[in-house]
Amino acid sequence: MAKGTRVRSTSPPDGGWGWMIVAGCFLVTICTRAVTRCISIFFVEFQTYFTQDYAQTAWIHSIIDCVTMLCAPLGSVVSNHLSCQVGIMLGGLLASTGLILGSFATNLKHLYLTLGVLTGLGFALCYSPAIAMVGKYFSRRKALAYGIAMSGSGIGTFVLAPVVQLLIEQFSWRGALLILGGFVLNLCVCGALMRPITLKEDQTTPERNPISRTQKQDFKRVAPCSTLTKKCVQTCLCCSLQQEYSFLLMSDFVVLAISVLFMAYGCSPLFVYLVPYAVSVGVSHQQAAFLMSILGVIDIVGNITFGWLTDRRCLKNYRYVCYLFAVGLDGLCYLCLPMLQSFPLLVPFSCTFGYFDGAYVTLIPVVTAEIVGTTSLSSALGVVYFLHAVPYLVSPPIAGWLVDTTGSYTAAFLLCGFSMIFSSVLLGFARLVKKRKKTQLRFLAKESDPKLQLWTNGSVAYSVARELDHKDDQCVALTVPGYNPT
Amino acid sequence: MRALPGLRGLRGLRGPPPALRLPLLLLCLLASERRSWADGNTTASPLTSLPIPEVMMTKYSNLSLKSQNISLTASPLTSLPIPEVMMTKYSNLSLKSQNISLTASPLTSLPIPEVMMTKYSNLFLESHNISLTEHSSVPVEKNITLERPSAIELTCQFTTSGDVNSINVTWKKGDEQLKNYHVNATGGILYTQYKFPIINSEQLGSYSCFFEEEKERRGTFNFGVPEVQGKNKPLITYVGDSVVLVCKCQHCAPLNWTWYSGNRSVQVPLDVHMNDKYVINGTNANETRLKIMQLSEDDKGSYWCHAMFQLGESQESVELVVISYLVPLKPFLGIVVEVILLVAIILFCEMHTQKKKMHTDDGKEFEQVEQLKSDDSNGIENNAPRHRKNEAMSQ
Repeated sequence: MAKGTRVRSTSPPDGGWGWMIVAGCFLVTICTRAVTRCISIFFVEFQTYFTQDYAQTAWIHSIIDCVTMLCAPLGSVVSNHLSCQVGIMLGGLLASTGLILGSFATNLKHLYLTLGVLTGLGFALCYSPAIAMVGKYFSRRKALAYGIAMSGSGIGTFVLAPVVQLLIEQFSWRGALLILGGFVLNLCVCGALMRPITLKEDQTTPERNPISRTQKQDFKRVAPCSTLTKKCVQTCLCCSLQQEYSFLLMSDFVVLAISVLFMAYGCSPLFVYLVPYAVSVGVSHQQAAFLMSILGVIDIVGNITFGWLTDRRCLKNYRYVCYLFAVGLDGLCYLCLPMLQSFPLLVPFSCTFGYFDGAYVTLIPVVTAEIVGTTSLSSALGVVYFLHAVPYLVSPPIAGWLVDTTGSYTAAFLLCGFSMIFSSVLLGFARLVKKRKKTQLRFLAKESDPKLQLWTNGSVAYSVARELDHKDDQCVALTVPGYNPT
Repeated sequence: MRALPGLRGLRGLRGPPPALRLPLLLLCLLASERRSWADGNTTASPLTSLPIPEVMMTKYSNLSLKSQNISLTASPLTSLPIPEVMMTKYSNLSLKSQNISLTASPLTSLPIPEVMMTKYSNLFLESHNISLTEHSSVPVEKNITLERPSAIELTCQFTTSGDVNSINVTWKKGDEQLKNYHVNATGGILYTQYKFPIINSEQLGSYSCFFEEEKERRGTFNFGVPEVQGKNKPLITYVGDSVVLVCKCQHCAPLNWTWYSGNRSVQVPLDVHMNDKYVINGTNANETRLKIMQLSEDDKGSYWCHAMFQLGESQESVELVVISYLVPLKPFLGIVVEVILLVAIILFCEMHTQKKKMHTDDGKEFEQVEQLKSDDSNGIENNAPRHRKNEAMSQ
């Protein structure tokens, strides 16, 4: 059945306006992630002005990070229902208002509210929709596009840190916050760049074989909200939410979610504890700071090069494997860290860890897109970043407690290493199980349905297998004679 | 002078004739004079052989006393450690005693008595050493910070392969030669030690040990009060805002901190009683915080914090610059204008391209609709033969 829609649907352009989207996402990453990291430069000023100690001022950074990640699903809901452009522009206005109000603060609590909650909320509204947008515009060069977009956090920190220091020296922290608020207003420009695009797979157009089409139509008929009457509007909102978040029940996504929890738990303490650990084994302060710089720069290199690498034809179908390889290697680096006790040994560690840290950060949206498809990518990314929030909050204090009780960094690093290795092993195991099921079902499906055997070209067998993938749970219920799901 | 009866008698009488009065007066005066001589005499004579008690000694300090009982011959006083007590009282005397004889030879090898050190035994002892070799041509310096009065022990050691006894060792404070140092040679190393107390600020300075002064083999100990850290860069603040100026001392605890404003030469103390303007407090002894509230343009300039120690004071400055809110507002407004412009341009471009697309779309849709119609008709045509076939079959 042909649909007479007036909206032009296209395949992902893989270029053209897509590069403007990548530039916009790059700027969004700078304005959100890099600005969050640079807020810590203000802490010394806040400590002197408000006569508080480090712990009180460090809460600001935790609140921004936490609110940005926790409200990430809210960002995807807003951009799905209003529009990506409106969502990001709204986020930019909120974040900028938070920073501007913060420049007039007379109390540290005011800063918690303005800088912490308001700015964090603004960042949350921008971050996941922008990343999802990149995924919609690219398919062949997706990993490279993501690599360039995500490298914004590293490059942004590198460039913004001295600029913020200069602003504080010229205008004191109040003036610097005001100007930073103006800078963050550029998020509205990024929002304007995010032209909406409707992709072919967002609609039920006949492109594949008749079987898949009829099965999809049946599925649609079963969905409760088929007519758009006034009564149904409210129910449509929550059932559209239901549809949007239907991926949450996919077993693949659940496995990804659990592994992301463990991975986020493992990766955050290193940035907090590398410098104290290096100083404790006898490295000088300047050399330890240099280690952090190496980590940051190699992170950027890893972002872009790994993205380009996994776009090559040979690795394109193995992006999932590359992701788990990167996470696993990072875990192994952690396990080796307690044995590295001098500066010449810590430098290669920084390079390796930084490279693969950049690598898996680039691949998170790619792997998520592979699992849920591009329609729900925005919502799925929102959930994935939401799952980053709690481990980011919890992990550094737990590592600190371990360091204090055991007196050395070994226990903390080993725990993080095992957490990351577990995350990658879990994903690998899930993929293996899925592959086994797939080959079994394909074999049995071929045997049971003789009609399909007529259509023995690769594309049909592939499309049938893919249908079975998406309806994993329903597959098991297939009553194929002689088939016992084990 | 006792009253002279003769003169009274003369006044009672109607008196002698005036021509006789003057010679009579003179006669009476002479008589009275002779009478006083006969009574006794208490005037002092040269004291060279009289035993004079100590009390008087302190008054007549330019006298010399000879006594047979005690004789203490002192050789030139430049090398004797004479107890200070005696020095202050009898600085010009020479005391000879036969019973106790303490001959002092040049003190280069005498052990320095502990008397001096025990006086200052409530002081902290600080020891510092410098090592030199015969190959060192560069003078070695050591900077030492002192907060409180201390007993100092400085040691220099010199390693040489040659004859240690031939090396001339000297100590100097600045340009002034020092005595009372101790030299010792063991093996091929020459040790020299100088002990002294530092109790006031004049005693601070540079103390150097020289091994053969001509060859510039020197080790210097520089004593000074601890330094205070302020801020190198000027502090920027806004009109109506408040600011906190901090002065810190790394590893020391000053007795007192005071704040002044002005420049290095002319410093005006701050009026700390204006509680709504200046508040001074410090959480630890090693730092001080000055909070200035309700800033105005007049408050700009340098502020000096003085740290008072027992041995002196050190100071540091913090510069304050007061600007108005308009200063950062200009770049901010510049950025806002740029953002609004860019957003307007991008949205305009988007609307423009969408309009273009819609025009071309209308044309394309017309073609698509035509194609659909033909597709439908094809479908019907396809169905038709089937129906006909069925009909044929059923028939």
